[in-house]
Amino acid sequence: MKFYKDHYDVVIIGGALAGLSAALQLQQKGINDILILEKHNLPGGLATSYVRNGIEIEATLHEMMSIGSKEDRLKVGVFFDECGVDIDWLKVPEAYRFVEPKKGIDITLHSGFETMANEIDAQYPGWGPKVLEFMQLCNRVYDSMNTLSVTPMSKPAMLMKHPDFVKTAGYTAVEVIDTFGFPQDIIDILTPYWIYVGNPMSTLPFTIYAFLMADYFRGGSYVPKKYSHEMSMKLQAKAEENGAQVEFCQEVEKILVKDGKVTGVRTRRGDVINCDYVICGAYPNKVYTQMIEPLSEVPAGAIKMVNGRRLSVTTASVMMVLDDTAENLGIEDYNIFSAGETMDTDKIWEQGKTTGPYKYLTSICLDLANPGATPEGMCQFSITNLPLVQGFLDLKEEDYYDFKRKMAKEMIEEYERVSGINIHDHIVEIEVSTPVTIAHYVGAWKGSIYGYSHSIDDHAVARLQMKEDDHFIEGLEFAGAHAISGNGMGPAVTNGRAAAKAVIDDVAKKAASAGGSKKKA
Amino acid sequence: MKVKGFLKDVGGASRVTKMRQELIASGSPIPDPKDPIRELADLLHPGKQQFTVTEIREASPTATTYRLSPVNGHVPVFQSGQYVNFYLTVGDSVLTRAYSISSAPYEARLAEPYFEVTIRHNVHYLVPDWFLDNVKVGTEITAALPFGQFLYEPLRDSDHIVGIAGGSGITPFASMAKEIAHGKLDIDLTIIYGSVKHTDIVCGYELEEARKVAPDKIHVVHVMSDDDEWDGEKGFVTREIIEKYAAKFAGFTKDTNAAHGPSFFFCGPPVMFFLIDKIMKEMGVPMKRFRHDATAQPAVKLIPGFPMDQVGKTYKMTVVRGIHEDVIDAAADEPVAVSLERAAIPIDTHCRGGECGYCRTQLLSGDIFVSPLNDGRRAMDKELGWFHACSAYPTSDLKIKIPII
Repeated sequence: MKFYKDHYDVVIIGGALAGLSAALQLQQKGINDILILEKHNLPGGLATSYVRNGIEIEATLHEMMSIGSKEDRLKVGVFFDECGVDIDWLKVPEAYRFVEPKKGIDITLHSGFETMANEIDAQYPGWGPKVLEFMQLCNRVYDSMNTLSVTPMSKPAMLMKHPDFVKTAGYTAVEVIDTFGFPQDIIDILTPYWIYVGNPMSTLPFTIYAFLMADYFRGGSYVPKKYSHEMSMKLQAKAEENGAQVEFCQEVEKILVKDGKVTGVRTRRGDVINCDYVICGAYPNKVYTQMIEPLSEVPAGAIKMVNGRRLSVTTASVMMVLDDTAENLGIEDYNIFSAGETMDTDKIWEQGKTTGPYKYLTSICLDLANPGATPEGMCQFSITNLPLVQGFLDLKEEDYYDFKRKMAKEMIEEYERVSGINIHDHIVEIEVSTPVTIAHYVGAWKGSIYGYSHSIDDHAVARLQMKEDDHFIEGLEFAGAHAISGNGMGPAVTNGRAAAKAVIDDVAKKAASAGGSKKKA
Repeated sequence: MKVKGFLKDVGGASRVTKMRQELIASGSPIPDPKDPIRELADLLHPGKQQFTVTEIREASPTATTYRLSPVNGHVPVFQSGQYVNFYLTVGDSVLTRAYSISSAPYEARLAEPYFEVTIRHNVHYLVPDWFLDNVKVGTEITAALPFGQFLYEPLRDSDHIVGIAGGSGITPFASMAKEIAHGKLDIDLTIIYGSVKHTDIVCGYELEEARKVAPDKIHVVHVMSDDDEWDGEKGFVTREIIEKYAAKFAGFTKDTNAAHGPSFFFCGPPVMFFLIDKIMKEMGVPMKRFRHDATAQPAVKLIPGFPMDQVGKTYKMTVVRGIHEDVIDAAADEPVAVSLERAAIPIDTHCRGGECGYCRTQLLSGDIFVSPLNDGRRAMDKELGWFHACSAYPTSDLKIKIPII
């Protein structure tokens, strides 16, 4: 029985957002001979949901960035529109509520630069204009980043047209924020999103911080009506409609390489599939140490690269269905960031190297952005911390379930302490995810969800400039949180498109040289 | 914009590139393929494993217990109430069949680990008596475990569980009772167990042994529906019986606050589930306090809304796997998964009740009826035509796509 063709132009490993977006981008440029192999039995990777007792529960998505309103579509929103992927987006009501009890800070910010500046001004009179100025700087850097990622430009031209981007590129978020002279409370209030790029502010490039702030505060953030699974399913459906072959329950074990060039893949089932290009969702750490066959084809530089770079965060998340409405329970906000102990992100980072108790938490009540997400009279609620993997490396199988429960209990108690809201008496369903959960379902290296640290010494700008240096095997491109744009579902789409573009460019280059040589002949 | 002076500012991009080059140069040249997190994930969820049957014993005159020992020496950690999925070779077909684990979790952590399942005789689970007829001590069987969410969750459940069981639905509670008696599970358990005759009681010996060890924590009430010799509770498991023993042993009162009353757990045949579900509602047991095991889909006449005019019809089903297609017969009154099994096309079902989604299948064309019992489909799957093959029935010729196994 033959389940695959003898050859595909492109095999995509992983049917998550990056892989599916890569397929759509390839198809836009007429590359249609595509096979997508997904380990799990559904698409989306972490962009997924699950059902417990008939209730569908969002697995991961807090806020989808880079979508924008219908009137002011942002990058990812534009791409989905262009591809004909029509997602029922719901706007998240606020950016966030930030609570830092020790300093008495409790503030809710909404999207819109002026709106949020005014909200800060209302509590810290006189600071609104300065905050607005700061957000406008973030927005200029954001616009430049979006332009420059698709339009290469000489350094002098860059300095002329994108001065703020160029001048802030070499600094951390802290270094640039410090030039504004904000009081510490305002700095704390502008900091919560740091966790969504998984790096403390002292080593987080301002470029990345600015991108995040401008994207979320400019257009607000969105969630799909039918959970993140809607996004995954509609991307898959479109890729299939355009002619891609998608196969589930197929884990790729080996990427076959000969003379420095990709020749195909082998699945766990044993199928050998030939192809010209592989777009890979697996982490480079795994690819270069386990998957390339033969391993002798892995250049020394690739090993130094994966060993030198630092993995970013993973997840510790408690997802619950509660037996009452958000209103009755007293949950007022879609998204609360709570800093129970400190907002010093270096200190929170140190705590993230342990297994808790965690004090910096993000809590989400999906029903407040998506009414009806949970059956009537109930709501779904999650509490998340994004720790480093270090604390989990020595976990024993025998202790795993007790460990998960202890961690979840501590997170619930911390939320209850900060909010004064009783959660534990209302739990109807509960699931806890850890790095082990991630490794099980999507196979990500060490349960990582955010790729490599967005630190100043692994800056996205530097990644872009070193693109050629980081390319070790002909025909092999990477698409996932581990790629240039880094983590998050919005950047996942961008990463997938970038990988596709590398393939498209290479195909064009080869076609040109083949055409050229023909002419010569 | 000025951060630290023009020259330093404009040199930023070159500076960060140099930093990154240095970071990578600092990396060790020695490959490090070790991923302890994936290793742990694989220990917890090893997928298919080989087991050897090392003991067979009578669990009642009408049920047999099989002990399975892992060929590689490792049974993944499981929790009482979870199930194992067997891959049984019958003719050309590999059938997937799920059974609750009847042994206790601690038994899988012994120096010579094992787990057990207890199977009723002559229960047509498409392969009636396959175990009884085929399995001897020494037989090797492929199985995967653990699965399912029917388990005590301390973050949600009361530490007093009232377990209501019918027939072989006792097995999760037998596992719990043994774990409690062993001191590994610190909860109280009141079991209300319905059987036809006392000779039908499954795992009766294990239950009694566990009760003797922990008489304050474990209570067992047998209810016989048709047994003249029985001098205990008789008839079906009724609201009166449940209330009586839940009050006596678990402090249940009608005004018990949702958060503080006992948790009711049910495992048993679908017909009994309908009854117990109704009783729970009548008793005012809140959703938080009632859990039930996922059971296999019952015969179609018991499925609410099933189009009975379809019974007896057969449709053509085109099955797509990769670029390969087969056309097979599909009976209208059997789940799509069963038609695949009959045609020896492998499909990885687990719960067989619609809930778990392992047999998630793409509908390319045609119409199906999906059982409303334990419908575990995601909203977007419903909209785009994806369904669970174990609980969907053809109502026209079909074209479906399933994973290549």
